[in-house]
Amino acid sequence: MEKEKIRELKSLIASRLTRPMRYYLDTCTRCGLCYDTCHAYYGIPKKEYSPVGRAEVVRRAVKKHFRPSGRLFPYWGDATALDERVMDEMKEAAFSCTGCRRCMMYCPFGIDMPYILGIAKVLLIGYGNAPEELVMLADAAVEKGKSIDEFKEGFLSVIGDMELEVQKRLGLPSADGLIPMEKKNADVLFVGLSGAHSIIHPAVIFNAAKENWTLSFFEAVNFGMFAGDPEKMQFIADRVVNEAKALGVKEVVIVECGTAYRIPKFLLGPLPFKVTSIVEKIHQYLAENRIRMKDGAIAEPLTYHDPCQLGRNAGVFDEPREILARLASDYREMSPTREYNWCCGGGGGLVALDNEEFRIKSGKAKKDQIDATGAKIVVSACENCILQLNTIKDGYGLDVEVRSLSELVAERLAV
Amino acid sequence: MWNDIYYFIMVPMVYIAFATFALGILFKFAVVAFSPGIKGKLGAYPRRLPRPLGVVKEAFAVPVAFRKSKVFWFFIVAYHLSFALLVIGHLELIDEFAALQVIPHQVFLGAGWVGIVLMVSTLYFLFRRFRYPYNAISVPEDYLILILLFFALFFGSHMNLASRHLDFMFDVSKMRDYLQSLIALRPVLPEDIVSSYHNIMLALHVLFANLFLMLFPFGKMVHSVFAFCTLNLKRK
Repeated sequence: MEKEKIRELKSLIASRLTRPMRYYLDTCTRCGLCYDTCHAYYGIPKKEYSPVGRAEVVRRAVKKHFRPSGRLFPYWGDATALDERVMDEMKEAAFSCTGCRRCMMYCPFGIDMPYILGIAKVLLIGYGNAPEELVMLADAAVEKGKSIDEFKEGFLSVIGDMELEVQKRLGLPSADGLIPMEKKNADVLFVGLSGAHSIIHPAVIFNAAKENWTLSFFEAVNFGMFAGDPEKMQFIADRVVNEAKALGVKEVVIVECGTAYRIPKFLLGPLPFKVTSIVEKIHQYLAENRIRMKDGAIAEPLTYHDPCQLGRNAGVFDEPREILARLASDYREMSPTREYNWCCGGGGGLVALDNEEFRIKSGKAKKDQIDATGAKIVVSACENCILQLNTIKDGYGLDVEVRSLSELVAERLAV
Repeated sequence: MWNDIYYFIMVPMVYIAFATFALGILFKFAVVAFSPGIKGKLGAYPRRLPRPLGVVKEAFAVPVAFRKSKVFWFFIVAYHLSFALLVIGHLELIDEFAALQVIPHQVFLGAGWVGIVLMVSTLYFLFRRFRYPYNAISVPEDYLILILLFFALFFGSHMNLASRHLDFMFDVSKMRDYLQSLIALRPVLPEDIVSSYHNIMLALHVLFANLFLMLFPFGKMVHSVFAFCTLNLKRK
């Protein structure tokens, strides 16, 4: 690799050497407790897919370029200079990790391995070797943010069709205003995804709960985060933040998308509005009797897959279970569950990549968990998880139905 | 020649080791202190205890290790507890602390068992690293630090045990003279130490301890401090 390129990449590493990053890089003792805790390692038992194996790829390069000991005695800590081979290893490490942070639960120091892999991702962008799909999707989201007025007309025309669907579901006399747009001072700004289903089901629930809400022009998913580009991640997130501020809403409710929820909830710093997941909102409506479920619970055995970003990374464990308790009579918990639940393998933008074979193999832990429950319906609350669970279902020929929580709630609303 | 080497290990090298240790740790802290913070939070859930209590529990009881491997957990806890007793023992070797003699005991708590537990634990950590998959993720630093530590423990423990169970009485007062003179920056190496039965054992103990101290700030041993920071981040 040319010296100039190495200098450029070193400055990218330096830009990510925050205080937490330095703690994480220095504290790991390579005790190996995390070694077999990654779903990818479960499906493909190679060191490269172990959390510590992934983090070491980054740690070795940081040692070589930023530590006197790495420069003077590289053998001592296995310090490795950046070169083509190392960049390939970084790509393998960064884009086989979903950022689920299950490994963090098994690390005696609570080291955030995906945070360390943020260095690998930013290096891959600088090296021009980041996955094109994610970079293009992030660029498209940025472009939409820069020229939203050009998108509005097309978006509004689609909203009309969705309102008709919501009207039909709720049996209302008129479709007008069922999906309000640009409503100033609404209580809730809902941020959906690009697919109509991500808007229709929540719209049915919001209208049933008689919520004073409005819909965002933007989609919640953040491909800047998935690609590992901090600037694009911030810009994409700021589109919604600025929209919420301009409308003067009290609360931003995020669609079933774990990462889209975690970013405004935890990663942007203090915001002038509350950030809630649609799952928490549904739970609130049920608790306040603002919505009711139809009589007669689902009798088929049903299980819930905790989306990692919603569960162990955001603490939304009880709400989905309490919602499902009202929907299903034969609820079966996965094992291990909650914070120790296996990742399905779809997060971190991996479902947007051409890697189906890898995702089927890395989804083996989830397949085994589902099998063990004997459930016929698998419910989750994250778009990436739903897509990946369907890939696992098809890949292993599982006899299950994969449903989203909001879809199930909207379907079983008593109207 | 031998006397010069002996003196170098027992006096100048001790200063070099402590200076390297102190400056290295200070440098490490300075680098961290001047690194930018982040505006977000990196915590994870659930949080069953308030943050300080949770951090203390995870740091000292290591429930994560208990969940994964009871044997590894046992050695982690045994090692760290014994290490704390070892530090107390060395403090008593510098001076008498009334607070540490609440339960009257000969210098170094544990009747020699502390050193044995530490040696066995260190050997466990070392030989564990030779096994798959831990050998695949280990680097030379991981082995070397454990080997240095083992030898420092071996020679130190040998003196302690010999002093307790054989006739080779270890003169604590002479050790206090020596260590206090080092602290006062007026180093004196008492003749009684140089000519004692333990002189070589002591020099080897000090040599390996010096090397261990010098490497401490530049490797993973900083987990002893940073672990509290990472565990705090996990609950923030």
